[in-house]
Amino acid sequence: MCRTGQDPESSETEDEADTDALFIALLEDSAEELYESAPCGYLSTLMDGTIAKINATLLRWLGMEREAVVGRRRFTDLLTVGGKLYHETHFAPLLRMKGELSGIALEMKTADGGRLPVLVSSTVKHSGEGEPLLIRTTVFDASDRRTYEEELLHRKREAEQARAEAEQARAEAEEARRQAEADRVRLADALAVLQQSLLPASLPAAPGLETAVYYHTASPDRLGGDFYDLFPIDGARWGFFLGDVCGKGPEAAALTSLVRYTLRAAALHDPEPATALATLNAVLHERYAASGDVRYCTAIFGVVDTGSRPGHATVRLASGGHPSALILRAGGHAEFLPTPGGLLVGILPSAPATTAETVLEPGDTLLLYTDGLTEARTGPTHNSLYGEDALHAFATAHAPCTPQEAIGALSELLDSFGDGLDDDTALLALGVPAVPPHPLPATKHDR
Amino acid sequence: MSSLTITDRDAAAGPVVEVTGDLDYTHAAALRRQVERLTLRPGQCLVIDLAGLRFCDSSGITALLAARQHALAAGADIALAAVPANTLRILTVIGLDRIFTLHPAASTA
Repeated sequence: MCRTGQDPESSETEDEADTDALFIALLEDSAEELYESAPCGYLSTLMDGTIAKINATLLRWLGMEREAVVGRRRFTDLLTVGGKLYHETHFAPLLRMKGELSGIALEMKTADGGRLPVLVSSTVKHSGEGEPLLIRTTVFDASDRRTYEEELLHRKREAEQARAEAEQARAEAEEARRQAEADRVRLADALAVLQQSLLPASLPAAPGLETAVYYHTASPDRLGGDFYDLFPIDGARWGFFLGDVCGKGPEAAALTSLVRYTLRAAALHDPEPATALATLNAVLHERYAASGDVRYCTAIFGVVDTGSRPGHATVRLASGGHPSALILRAGGHAEFLPTPGGLLVGILPSAPATTAETVLEPGDTLLLYTDGLTEARTGPTHNSLYGEDALHAFATAHAPCTPQEAIGALSELLDSFGDGLDDDTALLALGVPAVPPHPLPATKHDR
Repeated sequence: MSSLTITDRDAAAGPVVEVTGDLDYTHAAALRRQVERLTLRPGQCLVIDLAGLRFCDSSGITALLAARQHALAAGADIALAAVPANTLRILTVIGLDRIFTLHPAASTA
């Protein structure tokens, strides 16, 4: 702090003189002046709240005249309704109890109707005997702070609202998901009922015969196109069929329904298998091909007659483009019942169907299957087909067996294909019991 | 995953459609669309060249039958060329080997 060219000694003396002058000016600032013009509001009130003294700063903030306030108004008269309430319920009781309070946020009202957010600190002055005499209060303008807090509150509300909206959106998405899931379940239920109407879960009991069926669904939401049925024609004769309609889904289901009831009706009219298939061919061709739609099915239709020889059954069947039936003989071998040359049903106005006949001895089982079984992709890369040769070998290994045993073994085989089985597969087996059922005790008939 | 490529070219006797890949549920509709776009004149022969066919299921059979119907409606004929053994086996089971004209290769069709 050297000033060049000046005597350091004299410079110091000059500074001291300046400082002294400042102090003198400050001292001239009387306590009264400080009270009135301080950068905060001061007021003193009697214990009942009547304002006894108030400084100019606070009067200026409030836009009021001293004469209108001192001795005429209480401190609470200067507060907003909310501030008044808070003062009565919290501020005043607490002050009486503790003797002092600091930094309490209140709102004062100004003469022009505005609001002034303030921070208030008060102390109670006591007499020598400890009696409370008056309350001294300082008031700080908290507008800035209040603005900041309001902004903070505003932002918090905005964030809260955004959070609520996000929560609402999430709830709506969840509701939509639940609805979609409910719809999916309902649709799956409806499809299952439809599927059930197309495909009997169990076959009726046919005297002198054993039967078993199995259906593998490749995709639960695409109604399958495979079908089978067994139904009585007359006393000793039963009609049966198994087949595969083209396509998947509702259209395939409609076609399956048409096929099933056409075959049943045709068989009651004329149970000759080739005739039943010819009727089906005519119906499908007229219904679909004539209108330019390609719809068809493959099917084996047969009639089994248990009446000609006790303990035996004669099977006469015809195939329209369907893989050959397989017979697991009681003697322990298996043989196809070839029906070559039969054509897909429904693509030409008239289609040849090939008929074959065989006799089922006790312990023989006839197996009908759809090509889901023989066309299953096998091997580590799913590149090779299971095929008829493998099926023949499998049947030979299991013969002789009952229809239930055959279906059981084949359903396990289908399971073992895993992903390689990508088509619906239907299996129907019927056979003559190896040991005829014991005749019912005569006593039962007598009663 | 399965895939299917279909290209067509014009030969002397009519259009030749080459099918390479899988004619399955996912892809068979593509063959139907491609064939339906072809304009056939009476007396022409539409040849479907199956030399590159890897797999054919019932959807593929349906597509072939639709192609046959498209050709017959135009007064044209249809032939299948170079049918792979496994598909030929299926065609035989369902009797279509006697409905479609079959050729060993597209060049002989």
